Amino acid sequence: MSYFIMQILPYITLVVFTFGVLFRLGRWAGSRIVHNITLAPFPQRNSQVLGIFAAEVIFFRSLFSSDRPLWAGAWLMHMALFGAIGGHLVGIYFLGKQFVYLGMSEHLSEQMSALLGTSAGLALLAGLVYLLIRRLTVQKVKEVTGTSDYLQLVLLLAIVVVGNIMRLFEHDLGIAYAPAKDYVAHLLMLKPLPMDHLAITTPFFVLHLLFVQILLMVFPFSKLMHVFGMFANRWIINRVYKDPASGLPNVDIAAARQAGIGVPSGEGGV
Amino acid sequence: MPKYKDMVQPARASEKEMKKLHIDLTPDDQKCEKALQYLDEMRKKFRSFVTAMESCVKCGACAENCHTYLGTKDPNNIPTNRAELIRKIYKRYFTLEGRWFGKLVGAEDISLDVIEEWYSYFYQCSECRRCARSCPFGIDTCEVTFVGRQILHWLGITPRLHANTGGAMENTGNHMNLPRPGIVDTLEFLADDILDEFGVEVNFPVDKPDSDIIYIPSSADFALNPYTLMGAGLFFTYIGANWTIPSKVTEAGNFGFLFDQRFTQRHNVMRLLDAAQELGAKKIVWGECGHGWRAAKMYVPTMADRPVHWPITHIHDEVAHYIRTNQLKLDPSRNDHPTTLHDPCNYARACDLQENLRTVVKACVSDFREMTPNKDWTFCCGGGSGILFDDPEMYQRRIQLSAKKAELVRATGVGANGNGYLCAPCSICKAQLYPMVEEHNLGVEVKGLIDLVGKALVF
Repeated sequence: MSYFIMQILPYITLVVFTFGVLFRLGRWAGSRIVHNITLAPFPQRNSQVLGIFAAEVIFFRSLFSSDRPLWAGAWLMHMALFGAIGGHLVGIYFLGKQFVYLGMSEHLSEQMSALLGTSAGLALLAGLVYLLIRRLTVQKVKEVTGTSDYLQLVLLLAIVVVGNIMRLFEHDLGIAYAPAKDYVAHLLMLKPLPMDHLAITTPFFVLHLLFVQILLMVFPFSKLMHVFGMFANRWIINRVYKDPASGLPNVDIAAARQAGIGVPSGEGGV
Repeated sequence: MPKYKDMVQPARASEKEMKKLHIDLTPDDQKCEKALQYLDEMRKKFRSFVTAMESCVKCGACAENCHTYLGTKDPNNIPTNRAELIRKIYKRYFTLEGRWFGKLVGAEDISLDVIEEWYSYFYQCSECRRCARSCPFGIDTCEVTFVGRQILHWLGITPRLHANTGGAMENTGNHMNLPRPGIVDTLEFLADDILDEFGVEVNFPVDKPDSDIIYIPSSADFALNPYTLMGAGLFFTYIGANWTIPSKVTEAGNFGFLFDQRFTQRHNVMRLLDAAQELGAKKIVWGECGHGWRAAKMYVPTMADRPVHWPITHIHDEVAHYIRTNQLKLDPSRNDHPTTLHDPCNYARACDLQENLRTVVKACVSDFREMTPNKDWTFCCGGGSGILFDDPEMYQRRIQLSAKKAELVRATGVGANGNGYLCAPCSICKAQLYPMVEEHNLGVEVKGLIDLVGKALVF
């Protein structure tokens, strides 16, 4: 089973995720932006459009204004998620020694990497728990929540909890950067792993990867598509629009006032 | 009483009334199949609709940003849940997950009940787009309401109010069914009124050939908001414009936009272009009408069947231009009532008119107080998209839908002494707020913006 999850399923996941997302995006692209539905205030230059996109992606600006309590949890969760994903890529590639390039010693860099990873993992957990509690307790959110919304949150929580267990009990339950990197290298080079490889024999690592792969396969067929949907929607509603010049044709107000247009003859007006 | 399984519904247009809009009623046993066919067509056409269907995370941020939900507390009036009424069908028939997992992912088979739900809830939505503004992804639920109403219309399900208003347009060129002689008479009458009240000689030219400007008034101004039309007359007279009102299209609104964005809306657009061509206009100036201005400014370019040669601007844009260039002499003391401004949703969110509105109102009144939230975060008056139904059941709903606005108006304090002005420069806002300021005892009088301009102009 571990062998299937670690050596075969990843390729299936990759295919499902890639073609699933392409299929969805293709469907979006097949429909058109029929009318101009830009939202005010209208940006006047593309740099302003870029600013809107950046503020939404980095700060969740609209959400900040529209629902502050949700913003607090959602922003924390997503920033921690970006951090965790980035940490996985960098930490595994550099084996935790990435901060050497910032002038730290190798040992300090490894400690730094562990500290940042643990913080991101815990922040992510806190964010997800916050969002789950919100779904369970706030009336308006309960009213919009469906079964799949809970399931996806639980799946994310499972990934994060397992990840955190590996991080917090690294020596007993976790896996070091080196075998993880070795595993990724084998996957990328299409080389089978030896059966006694740590990546296959560490139960929590296998579980972590199983949940992640389920999430990636669910991704194209769920609301997780909001990652792309955000850009697709904003591409429609945040665009440059320039008003026609104001000022009416053949109008000379000074002359009109001079001529007393509208003022009844002999009465002098109001 | 139009009520279906505990849902409020507006009175429907009859078969005969729908025929005038060139629509035949769909028999009940074909409705579901046809609805799916139309939905399929819509999803293949409108990207804004598809992305709304496929990228909502149901976070609930839209809920308390919607005056309809705030006023009714009906879960189906939460914007994402309103969209879910279509999304559950969309998932069931047009997505893999919906076909395979059904209820687990919230997919549902279509039924007549679902179609009746659409009719109830898509006609409680004001299409005001506050949900689009508040959505972290910018999902525009208004687009979903558009699609829902379009499908209903093709099935032959349209409120009597909307159908008759749209039908009147084809008949007379305006929503109030005013024939040309009635228009000319009313304008002459208004000219007399202006002379009596303001001491100014204003001429309202109708169909004058070789006019530089054609002015498109809201037809409601002929009956319900005469001071708006008088204000426009005073303004054009003041600046000495060569202008006219085309009898072919005496309507700033376009109800087609609200229920039939194919024939009914396009037909109105083509009337406008015909009139502009016939009268040799150089510029088209729009009157006070929120949805109509959105339909004109944002939709005419993509609706027109031929190139549009005429720049189209709003009369507020033009007045603001002449105020900024110091060419108008205005006396704000003539409007010496505490005044607040209601930003019509279509002006402030769809057309970027909010700054010009302020330029104008501040120059025309002596005691202006901002409402909060305002501008692109404005709350709708509750009548947006023409849901001005007056059968008792729906009228109660209108009171609920305007509750949020009433709260905001009260918070400005303009009505504390019972002599406040609520400036609501949109015909639908006016029609909604005239009775609603009474229902909520706000102590304010509803005014158009051009009304205030006309009164403040010093000749």
